[in-house]
Amino acid sequence: MNLFGNAVPWRSIAKEALERTAIVTRFLCLLHVTNTYICTPTLVYGPSMLPTLNLTGDVLLAERVSHRLGKVRPGDVVLVRSPVDPRKSLTKRVVAMGGDKVTFVVDPRNSDRVRTITVPRGHVWIQGDNIYASRDSRQFGAVPYGLVEGKILCRVWPLDGFGLLHH
Amino acid sequence: MPPPPPWLSVFPFCDSRLVRTQQTTFQIDIASDIVSSMVVGSLKLWTDLVVEGFQKSLRVGKFLCLLHAIDTYVCTPVLPYGPSMLPTLNSTGDLVLVERVSTWLGKVGRGDMVLLRSSEDPRKTLIKRIVGVEGDTVTYLVDPKYSDASRTCVVPWGNVWVQGDYIYNSRDSRTFGAVSYGLVEGKLFWRIWPLKSFGSLHGKAKEDS
Repeated sequence: MNLFGNAVPWRSIAKEALERTAIVTRFLCLLHVTNTYICTPTLVYGPSMLPTLNLTGDVLLAERVSHRLGKVRPGDVVLVRSPVDPRKSLTKRVVAMGGDKVTFVVDPRNSDRVRTITVPRGHVWIQGDNIYASRDSRQFGAVPYGLVEGKILCRVWPLDGFGLLHH
Repeated sequence: MPPPPPWLSVFPFCDSRLVRTQQTTFQIDIASDIVSSMVVGSLKLWTDLVVEGFQKSLRVGKFLCLLHAIDTYVCTPVLPYGPSMLPTLNSTGDLVLVERVSTWLGKVGRGDMVLLRSSEDPRKTLIKRIVGVEGDTVTYLVDPKYSDASRTCVVPWGNVWVQGDYIYNSRDSRTFGAVSYGLVEGKLFWRIWPLKSFGSLHGKAKEDS
């Protein structure tokens, strides 16, 4: 029995598969464009933003429009590519913009020493809300604005924390 | 009632209600029906035009999306200007191709010319050469125009040290320090213009002839 005979309609199967793949590809493209230029969900975990964000993971909605328009202000929680490990992204709060003076406690666990620094032009100073357990600008310095990837809009999961983040 | 005129059959939308005893009302009704049919006809024409315009612009939009996707994830043309990469790149008038795949895969290293976002002004992009990667010890001339002073430093993790090929007139890591790898946007690999320099941009910096 000829496997490639008339019994199995290979042509129409291939055509239908191609069409379905094209539809799926277009949908993935749309999803990707939305995630990159409009808004994307992110899973964040870790102790550095307690009590604002939970330790064991929150799903947040990050919007990707404001930072392209330069509308990032002190007090915003932002998604930032790590300056020390380019494969990681961090979620921290912007404390000061370029040109501002920032005063911070260098190592609150061990001492009360305070430092004041002027943030260089084109950089932002980010700190976690939980300064006792956060690796942020106090350790790796001001972060270039080009590494800011998005601004956190609201929390989506867990549901009892649904809504805008509180200070 | 007088019989309907023979040319009435040309207008199929006219029915017998138009046929009246008085000639003037007959004519007005015909005229109003012609106008309303013209409006309906032109409305249909309008909607057809709008739908076609929308479909054409959707096709153009899809093409632009594809172009943008290629530009952002595969390869993009760049017009560099400025003296900091002489003699490899001219001051003006060059057209080079920057590929984005290597940065994404992390395969960018020492000796590569890269496109990077400026850490001083996030709206600007620079083209410089990577002289050291994370962990390297870099020794550089601080200000070669005026002195022979040199300094040594270690490139921190996740950062790269970039310098222009023309160190006498280049604002690079000697001024603003090591640059985070996340700011590297692409690697230069091909020059298109001027035609006499058409070709690959790999390898060491071009020596002054």
